[in-house]
Amino acid sequence: MSSLEALTDAELVQRCRAGDPEAWNTLVERFSRYVYAICVKGFRLKEEDAEDVFQDVFTRVYTHLDKLRDDAAVRPWIAQLTRRLCLDAIARGSREQPALEHDVEESSDDFAEIDEAFAVREAVTTLGDACQEILDRFFAQDQSYRTISAELEIPAGTIASRIARCLRKLREELES
Amino acid sequence: MVARGSKEWDDAGGIAAQALALQARAAPLAHADAEAWEDALGALRDAGAGGGDDGAPRRDHVLERKLERAAVVPLEIAALGADIAALAAVAGERCDGAYRADAAAAAALAAGGARAAAHLVEVNLGVQEGDERLAEARRSEQAADEAAERLLAAIR
Repeated sequence: MSSLEALTDAELVQRCRAGDPEAWNTLVERFSRYVYAICVKGFRLKEEDAEDVFQDVFTRVYTHLDKLRDDAAVRPWIAQLTRRLCLDAIARGSREQPALEHDVEESSDDFAEIDEAFAVREAVTTLGDACQEILDRFFAQDQSYRTISAELEIPAGTIASRIARCLRKLREELES
Repeated sequence: MVARGSKEWDDAGGIAAQALALQARAAPLAHADAEAWEDALGALRDAGAGGGDDGAPRRDHVLERKLERAAVVPLEIAALGADIAALAAVAGERCDGAYRADAAAAAALAAGGARAAAHLVEVNLGVQEGDERLAEARRSEQAADEAAERLLAAIR
């Protein structure tokens, strides 16, 4: 992990404001999946429309970062910006898709899921490497206990308990 | 249910989360297994209809690929059965006593599923004795059996 990746959102915004180009790269990297997920899962934009919105979002973040009042609130600010630009993109294409309002309303639950997923993802990064590794293998890569046991060289009979302990830590982290 | 019902167990939530993840893996496998088997059966019939001069069914690459697919899915089911039995065993050892028999029943069912899936790998025409896939399926079957037996023995 680079030193920039370890910065809080607020610290990263401050470095961006100071004109650090590496900080900008890190900011884009940190929020790119989030923005893309809102476009594709939240608003179900087509890939080319999502890419346009993605470019537009980060261009506006770059040019309007000074207007952000609370540096720690950069994520909700980016989310709001992304949603507005997604609506603009849909409005541009609404002549072809008149069911716009209904579609957007239906997908509103997805926003909460996206936010929750990213909150969990961030919390996972605060756990130790061992927990990150075992949770990733089981929940993201769908590996079996035996595969995890063989690859991490830990007894197969202890895997489920280890995962459960890591999940307890994760819950504590999220609740704190 | 076993983990969720065990209020005094700190890691119950983590066990329940794993159970849900395993459940999510199982549903598409059941569908894939039926589909792969139907597909292989169709290919076997086609090969039989177009048999060689000696009357023996024609084995071609398409058939072999379909047979292989028909073996891969039960292999995954067997591994999943071993995982479910292992998780049920952990739950049964730590849960509230009122739920222990339910955990044992889950482990026994998972072991039965692993055994059935291993058998499907064994009888697949594309799998020969000594094949690593068969060995893997049997390891899963054995692991599931051992987990279920351990739990059943503990509560008898």
